[in-house]
Amino acid sequence: MSGPLSALFPWAFVVPLAPALAFVIIGLFGRRMQRLEWGGWIAVGGAFVAMLVGVLIAVGEMLTPGTYTDRSISWLTLPGNGTGTFPHGFSLVMGTLVDPLSAIMLIVVTVVGFLVMLFSIGYMHRDQGLPRYYAELSLFLASMLGLVLADNLLQFFLFWELVGVCSYFLIGFYYAKPSAASAAKEAFLVTRIGDVLFLLGIFIYFQQFATSGPGAGWAASGFLFVSHGAPFLAGVPIANSTLFTIAGLMMLGGAAGKSAQFPLDVWLPDAMEGPTTVSALIHAATMVAAGVYLLAVVSVFIGFTATDQLVIVAIGGFTTFWAASMALVHRDIKRVIAYSTVSQLGYMVLAVGAGFTMVGLYHLFTHAFFKALLFLAAGSVIHAVETQDLFKMGGLRKTMRITSIGFLIGALSLSGIPPFAGFFSKDDVLASVYQAAQSHPAYWPFLILAYATVFMTAYYIFRAWFLAFSGDHPRDPTLPHAHEAPWTMTVPIVILSALAIVAGLLAFVPQFGGLFRAGAGFLPTPGVPPTYTTSTLLLSGLSVGLGLTGIATAYVLWGNGRVFTLADNSAVQPIRRLLLERYYVKAGVDWFGLRVAYTVSRFLAFVDEYIIDGTVHGFEHLFSELSTRLRRVQSGVVLDYAAYVVVGLAIFLVFLYLVVPAFPALGGG
Amino acid sequence: MTDLPLAAFLGLSAVLLGIGIFGILTRRNFILLLIAIEVAMNSAILNFVVFGAYWGAVPGYGLEGPAVAVVLVGLAATEVAVGLAIVLALNRLRGSINVAEATALKL
Repeated sequence: MSGPLSALFPWAFVVPLAPALAFVIIGLFGRRMQRLEWGGWIAVGGAFVAMLVGVLIAVGEMLTPGTYTDRSISWLTLPGNGTGTFPHGFSLVMGTLVDPLSAIMLIVVTVVGFLVMLFSIGYMHRDQGLPRYYAELSLFLASMLGLVLADNLLQFFLFWELVGVCSYFLIGFYYAKPSAASAAKEAFLVTRIGDVLFLLGIFIYFQQFATSGPGAGWAASGFLFVSHGAPFLAGVPIANSTLFTIAGLMMLGGAAGKSAQFPLDVWLPDAMEGPTTVSALIHAATMVAAGVYLLAVVSVFIGFTATDQLVIVAIGGFTTFWAASMALVHRDIKRVIAYSTVSQLGYMVLAVGAGFTMVGLYHLFTHAFFKALLFLAAGSVIHAVETQDLFKMGGLRKTMRITSIGFLIGALSLSGIPPFAGFFSKDDVLASVYQAAQSHPAYWPFLILAYATVFMTAYYIFRAWFLAFSGDHPRDPTLPHAHEAPWTMTVPIVILSALAIVAGLLAFVPQFGGLFRAGAGFLPTPGVPPTYTTSTLLLSGLSVGLGLTGIATAYVLWGNGRVFTLADNSAVQPIRRLLLERYYVKAGVDWFGLRVAYTVSRFLAFVDEYIIDGTVHGFEHLFSELSTRLRRVQSGVVLDYAAYVVVGLAIFLVFLYLVVPAFPALGGG
Repeated sequence: MTDLPLAAFLGLSAVLLGIGIFGILTRRNFILLLIAIEVAMNSAILNFVVFGAYWGAVPGYGLEGPAVAVVLVGLAATEVAVGLAIVLALNRLRGSINVAEATALKL
């Protein structure tokens, strides 16, 4: 049964290649393709080919569970001679690896990527610069797929950087708008901090795995991701070595940058300056998933130390709560969803940190669909009413039926209400962390934060739904009359709605669930999907209860067009302001940038301008001045020259007969 | 050599050099300048003759001094010939042989 599809595995390179080709074609000829929506349909085509091949490969992987099919080209192979930095040799390779992890990611990235491309056709129709948009979006998709299929750490990093630069381009798509340009810069710089940490981590692995210990000689294979049955560090005493702990933390730093985990989370909400489609693709389904995927890959192939795991759990758990709290009060529909993304990524990081890599990926899988759905539905709303302010909307349920139902399904899924996708994966995350907390009491506080977040999540997303869709009419009467979007926009919403319902249930299909369980062989603990026991049922009951309470609270405060206003003298006002100001982190970063960094920079600029350049220019000035004065000597009058000769002769004689004898050191002896 | 000491001849030579240099530095007229140069040069020729005579008595030394002096006299004549040619050319070009006015060497 496995035959024909696994024959596709060595052809996995086609998946990133198709959008890459679309990028080249649109980049070169997009301006002349007015009838193809300025290259839009080519981008859709590239994404469609990628989706077709990608999903077929993923299905092939399901039918042959747990296989690793690597196809790589060696760029450089240095044999080892037993000594030096690389006693076992060193090689650089480039290739594709089809394994359960990449199969899961292939489905997520290609399906969401294709639907977003299709949605873009309708959504972006009125914008300028479409060739650039579709070219960048294709390149972005290609880089992300290259990252997902990467078969070694260095290639992973290469595509990781490409993804980063594409996100910079796309967030800054409306580059003429100052806020968009600065958001793009912010995203680039903040993720760059993570990138640098990631690179440092690679260096440590580079050095550690080159010589001795577990995975010795890994460098010889070019850091190829191959199944060793267990992570390198599993059960080896060296696993607690300080260097490996530091390397693991560096990897976490890289992941925190890309996946917007505390404290590198500031960029993601600001990145909503890009087109909504970009938000859906980058900031819901693909780019931010790269960080979690990195953690998953490292935990599967290399392994984290116990200290690393605790830090990862702490960061994940705290981010979950931190981001959700900010989503409670914001008025911008996209920002609310953005915070919810950060918060949900926290759940994934939490699960990976607790040792349940596949559970984290399971949540990534379902989240990608319902979050893309929420973003596209929000995009459809913004497209119709031309505002992002929730308080101006209202009553859109009547005019935008498909969008409102799509958003509702996404919201229910996000809130973890069965049988929507989010329920299963979020429940799994909570249950697995609960299980890990039995042996690691230090996880408890973060588990509690994660549970508190369930309530907050349900509340803020339904607050957004009620504000936008319930009631009789928009609160701001000047809004343009809303209408349902064209088919290119509604079709992706409908498909994603269907996926947001079934993505969780899919894990109960033996073959599909096997994709997640296939990793069990080399994971500390088997994961997904729910293996219900009495205690996990109780936990599920708790989380569903919290979710329903959140929805009920939102209904009481915001349902049926109600607007809940907090009294000015209320005791909660300071908290609300704190949340609206984003805990003053943004202000703090600005303060740091303006005061500290800018002052230091000005001092350095002073040093550069006046001390370094000053020295150079000083010498230049000195000689220029000197020569201006000295050239007067050249009068052209022969008599003057004769006088110089005589004076020179006199000086020479004085030197020879008076100075030299007086100072024997001069050699006059 | 006669009764006069070597220093007397060298002193004469030094005086001639001084007169020559004084003339070179102070004369503006090109012909007078040439004469001053000749005077200075003759002080050098005198030195050759004097030292030639002084060392001529010592075995192993020949007529090198007077020989060089003869060559230098020829050289001085050549130089005057070139100098006078320049004077003629300068006079034709500028209508004056004042060297202070000839500043074409200046860039």
